[in-house]
Amino acid sequence: MPREWLSATGEIGRFTGSIVRDVWGLRVFRFFGEALRQSGILIISSAAVIWALMFVLALTCGIEGAYFGISLGAPTVAGQFAAWCDLREVIPYAFGYMMAAKVGTGIVAELGAMRISEEIDALEVMGINSVTFLCATRLLAAWLVLPFMYLIGIGGAFLASYIAVVQQVGAVSSGGFLLLFWQFQNPPDFLYSLIKAMVMATAIVLVGCYYGYNASGGPVGVGRATAKSMVLNLILIHLIGMLGTQVFWGANPRAPIGG
Amino acid sequence: MAVEEPVEPESHGVKETESEPESAHAGVVFEPPPREGAGEEEEFELHTGTIRPSKAPDAIEFIDVHKSFGRNHVLRGLNMGLPEGQISMIIGPSGTGKSVCIKHIVGLLYPDEGDVLVHGQSIPSLPDAELFEIRKKFGVLFQDGALFGSLNLYDNVAFPLRQHTEKGEEEIAEIVNRRMREVGLGGEGTKMPNELSGGMRKRAGFARALVLDPQIVLFDEPDSGLDPVRTALLCELIKEVHSEHGGCYVVITHDIMSARRVAEHISVLWKGRIVESGPAQELFASENPFVRQFLSGEAVGPLGME
Repeated sequence: MPREWLSATGEIGRFTGSIVRDVWGLRVFRFFGEALRQSGILIISSAAVIWALMFVLALTCGIEGAYFGISLGAPTVAGQFAAWCDLREVIPYAFGYMMAAKVGTGIVAELGAMRISEEIDALEVMGINSVTFLCATRLLAAWLVLPFMYLIGIGGAFLASYIAVVQQVGAVSSGGFLLLFWQFQNPPDFLYSLIKAMVMATAIVLVGCYYGYNASGGPVGVGRATAKSMVLNLILIHLIGMLGTQVFWGANPRAPIGG
Repeated sequence: MAVEEPVEPESHGVKETESEPESAHAGVVFEPPPREGAGEEEEFELHTGTIRPSKAPDAIEFIDVHKSFGRNHVLRGLNMGLPEGQISMIIGPSGTGKSVCIKHIVGLLYPDEGDVLVHGQSIPSLPDAELFEIRKKFGVLFQDGALFGSLNLYDNVAFPLRQHTEKGEEEIAEIVNRRMREVGLGGEGTKMPNELSGGMRKRAGFARALVLDPQIVLFDEPDSGLDPVRTALLCELIKEVHSEHGGCYVVITHDIMSARRVAEHISVLWKGRIVESGPAQELFASENPFVRQFLSGEAVGPLGME
């Protein structure tokens, strides 16, 4: 069994490597129109639901933080709690979960259906590199669109925490909340958070492409590939989240994690 | 299907083609030398391997091709020439590797052993970039049309033009509309593939396969899932388009009616090898019991359910 895992890992690495090389080597720009179309699809069909989950989990961060602060007898602590909860942990995860559930499985289903109905073969036969056309364009679209989508989502999440702490629970004044909220994060933290989310998004798109492109065994096979991709994506999201926190904030002198 | 492996796959009598690929060119009748070791060849006893000249040079040649999927040995020393300028049919029972042949011709599969030549170029040894280039010679009609589900019919047919040519939208529209009318789908351009019947999808796939004026057109079971009348109409369409544009057409089928209707050259494939191949009339007059049984579609004969 471990041997099969090893060879599967190698296979995924080789395949995803070729996708990344297609984007990096600018070969994907032959199909820039397709990449733009994929970007449009990403915005229209996935942005709202991703923002929604980010917003809801940021509300939770605010509520937890507010009652945590009250129980400590220091309600303003909610500001600090929300700042870290939002930017460092929960919001990147929310983004990853919904990316995996909506975009990742969508890619597997779409490419898998194309594989079993011979559409990928048809593309190849027309002299079009199907990995570049189908996979590299999707990765490029993700890189073009998702940073902005994520930053907007972060804005929504901050608003959600503010609403929960200041408007709903109401134990802290607006000024008190915002003072601690901004004191416990600085501009580089935004960048770190963005990097974390983009690494997750890249992994999700690549995993989706791998399982979809290589699907076999008819409609059942596509379903099975979709399930497998979701499992792997959830594992990768948490690995990336954990490693990201360690790397970016592990040595933070104000709150060392694991140090 | 239980496949018995031949003891020595290499020694089946047509070995000289490996050293001299040219000798597989049609125009040269080559009778395999007498077989030694009848035991290992027992299941191929009905394979005469006769190749009659088709009076045209070969556009596509299979030279001693072997291909296995896991333990399933599908092509077992296939030698086959498909002539230029004619409609050739590859016919044979289900599961004998007919579709695998097409995938070898366009380089979607590579042979484990042997070689596949298209206009003299060895497909398996081409680097990727050249393979993508040479594929522009081909038009392929897949079993279910393989239309892109996210594009409407017009965009499907226009797709190869938009990707491979610098033509303007007006010129593309003219070509696409002409091709769509040719296959009887004029005015249906805005429909999506899932709104169409199987026959319409196939015709649309045919239009798409023709849009770049390919020199070689491959049909993977164009008659599967169609009623006899639709099959007849599609066959007529294939003949019509071929008489207009020429080129090498290869049709894979197990339907004898369509073979009688359109084939100019027939290769009978069974158990991964050619039983007999040659011009259609000669094949229909063949003395080989397997070929006779298959071409007349009778239950009695050497071909059973196994």
